[in-house]
Amino acid sequence: MIVPISHILMVAAAMFLMGLGCVLARRNLIMILIGVEIMLNAVGLVLVGGSALWHRVDGQIFVIFLMAMTAAEVGISLAMVVYLRRRKGTIDADAFDGMKG
Amino acid sequence: MNETLLFLIPLLPLVCGALNAIFGMRAPRLFAETLAVFGVGASTLVTLLLWSYADGEGSRAVLYTWLSSGELEVPVAILFDRLSAPMTLMVTGVSTLIHLYAVGYMAGEKDYARFFSLLNLFVFAMLIIVLADNLLLTFLGWEGVGFCSYGLIGYWYGKGENADAGRKAFLVTRVGDVFFGIAMLWLFALTGTLSISAINAQAVQLAPAVVTGLTLLLLLGASGKSAQLPLMTWLADAMAGPTPVSALIHAATMVTAGVYLLCRMFPLVSLSPVGMMAIAAVGALTAFYAATCALAQREIKRVLAYSTMSQVGYMFLAVGAGSVAGAMFHLLTHAFFKALLFMAAGCVIHLCHEENDIFRMGGVARRAPFVFSMFVAGAICLAGVPMTGGFYSKDAILLAVFAQPGLSFQGLWLLASATALLTAIYTFRLLYLVFAGEPRGDAGHAPGGLMRWPLLPLALLGLGGGILNMPELVGGNAWLQSYLGPLAGVAPQVSHAAEWSLWGGATALVVVGWLVARRWYAERAVPREGFVAGFLLQGWQADRLVAALILRPFRAACRFCCYGIDLTVIDGLLDGSVDACKRLGKGLRLVSTGRLSTYIGAFAWGLLALLGWCLWRLVSL
Repeated sequence: MIVPISHILMVAAAMFLMGLGCVLARRNLIMILIGVEIMLNAVGLVLVGGSALWHRVDGQIFVIFLMAMTAAEVGISLAMVVYLRRRKGTIDADAFDGMKG
Repeated sequence: MNETLLFLIPLLPLVCGALNAIFGMRAPRLFAETLAVFGVGASTLVTLLLWSYADGEGSRAVLYTWLSSGELEVPVAILFDRLSAPMTLMVTGVSTLIHLYAVGYMAGEKDYARFFSLLNLFVFAMLIIVLADNLLLTFLGWEGVGFCSYGLIGYWYGKGENADAGRKAFLVTRVGDVFFGIAMLWLFALTGTLSISAINAQAVQLAPAVVTGLTLLLLLGASGKSAQLPLMTWLADAMAGPTPVSALIHAATMVTAGVYLLCRMFPLVSLSPVGMMAIAAVGALTAFYAATCALAQREIKRVLAYSTMSQVGYMFLAVGAGSVAGAMFHLLTHAFFKALLFMAAGCVIHLCHEENDIFRMGGVARRAPFVFSMFVAGAICLAGVPMTGGFYSKDAILLAVFAQPGLSFQGLWLLASATALLTAIYTFRLLYLVFAGEPRGDAGHAPGGLMRWPLLPLALLGLGGGILNMPELVGGNAWLQSYLGPLAGVAPQVSHAAEWSLWGGATALVVVGWLVARRWYAERAVPREGFVAGFLLQGWQADRLVAALILRPFRAACRFCCYGIDLTVIDGLLDGSVDACKRLGKGLRLVSTGRLSTYIGAFAWGLLALLGWCLWRLVSL
C-alpha cells in the first residue's frame, strides 16, 4: 500500500471536521447539504482505505451503496429546498422555525 | 286458631299504612281516616281476642326465615308473652284513641294521607319492637320508629325549624341506635344467636365484665330512644310535630321503647350490679333534670315533654332497682295520662287560638269545662295525687328504690322524691297558668267532638290505672306483679309501716308542691326572670353543651381535615407535581427552538460526548 493508512485517516478526519464545521456554521440550506456530502465522502474514504488495508472487498461494496444512497438523498433534499424556497422565498435555515416549542 | 294469627297485630297497621300511602290521596278523605283508625283499632281487637296466647310461657310464632347465612339465622319471630301482651294492648289501645283524636285534629290539613300513613307505620314499628323475639327484628322496629318520628315531627316541613327538629330527633336517637347495634353484634359474637329468649337463657354463662359492658351499651341505646341523659336533647324540640304525634311519641310509642327493651333484656341486664346502678342513676338524674327544666318552660307542650322525660326517668330507675313490674306499671299508667294530657293540651291550644305560651293563656277552665276536667284528671295523675293511677305507679317505684340496700340507692331515692315534689310544682303551675284567672290571649274555636271524646276513656284509665297493680297494703292483689310472674323482677320487701310512711311522705310532697305553685302562680301570671330561670328554660344549656363538647370539636376536626389535610397536603401534592411538570416543560421549551442550527449543534455536542466517552474508555483500558 503506497499511501499509509494513517494519512488516509487524517485526510478523512479533516474532511469530516470541515464538513461538520460547514453544517454547523452555515445558514444556507444548500451549503448545509454540501457539508453533509463532504462528511459522507469522508466516511467513504475511510471505508475504501480500510478495504485496501485488509484486502477485503466489502468496504468498497459499502461505498457503492453509500454513493447510491447519497444520490437519492441529494435528489430528495434538493427537491425539498426548491419547495421551501417557494414557500418562504428564502433558503435560510433559520427562517423555518415552525417547530419552535 | 294458631299462633301465626299473632302476626295480624303488627301487620294490620302496616297494611293500612301502606294502603294509605298508595291510595290515600286518590280516595275520599273519609276513606283515609277510616283506614287509619281501622288499622290500629282492629289490631287492638285482635290483641284482645288472642290475649290467652300470652298465658304461661307465652307463644312464639315464626312467619318465615328472614336471613340465613352460616351461623346467622334470623327468623321473623314474635313472642307474645306476659310482658309483651299488656304492652301490645296499651300501644294499640292508646294509639287507637290518638288516631281518633288525630282525625279531628287534622281536619283542616291537606296532606292527610302522608300523616295517617306515617302514623300507622309508627304504630307498626313500635309493635315490632314490642313483639319481636329477635334482636334484629327489634332493631328493624327500632329504626322504623326513628324514621316515622322523623317524618312526623317534621310533618310541617315547610317551616325550617320543624324540619330541623325532625332531623335532630333522628340524628340524636341514631347515636343511641349505634350503641344498640354494637350490643347486638357483640351478643351475636358471644352467643351465636340473636333470639331474645335464647340470649336471656344463656346470659348466666357470660362473664360479669362482659355483661356489664353489654348492659351499658343497651342502656345507651335505650337512652337514645327514651330521651334519657345524655341523649335527651331531641325530645323537647320534637314538639314541632302535630299534637297527636306528640301524644303518640310520648305515650304509646318511641320513648317507652327504651324502657321496654331493658325490661325485655332484664334477665341479662340484672346480672350486672354496675349496669343496674348505671340504669338507676341515669333514670333518677334524668327525672330530676327534666323536672327542673319543666319548672321554667313557657310552652305548654314543652312542659309536658320535659315531664315525659322525667317520668321515663322514673321507669329507668325502676328497672335499675330491679322492679320490672314497677317500670311496666308506671309505663302503662303514664301512657294513659300522658296521652290524655297531650290531647287535652291540643284542645287547649285550639281554644287559645293556636297559642302555645302558657303565660298568654288563662281562664280556659270557664270556657271549656270538659277539657278542663280532662286535663285535671291527667295532671293529678302526673303530680301523683293519692288514689290516682300515677300515684300508685310512682309510689311503687319509690318503694322499690327505697327497698334497695346501699347508700347510693338511698341517694337516688332522695333525688326521686325531690323530683316528685318538682313534678307537683310544675304540674300545678301549668294548671294555674292555663286554666285559672282571666284570659290573657285571644279566644280560638272550640274543639270538635272527635277531639274531646277520646279523652274520656283515657282519663278513666289514668285515674283508675292503680287497679292494674293495687298494692296489698290497701287490699289490692298486685295483679301486674303476679301476672308478669318470673318476668316481674324482684318484688320490694318493705314493712307496712315503712310503706305507709312513704305514702304519707309522697302525699305531703304533692300538697307542698301544690301550695308552692299556688303561691307563685295563682295570683299573678308573670314568667320569672333571672339567670336560674333562663338556665332552666334552656334545659340547663344542654344544647349549648352538646355544641361545645361535640359539635365544635367535630367542626374543628372537619376544618382540620379540610384545610389542614385535604387542601394543603393532598391538594398540595397534586398541584405541586402538576406545577413541577409545567415548569419542566417550560424549561424544555427553550431547548426546542425550531432552528435547524440548534439541533445540529446538539448533534455535534452529542457526537463530541460519545467520542470523549470512547476516548476515556480507551485511556482507562
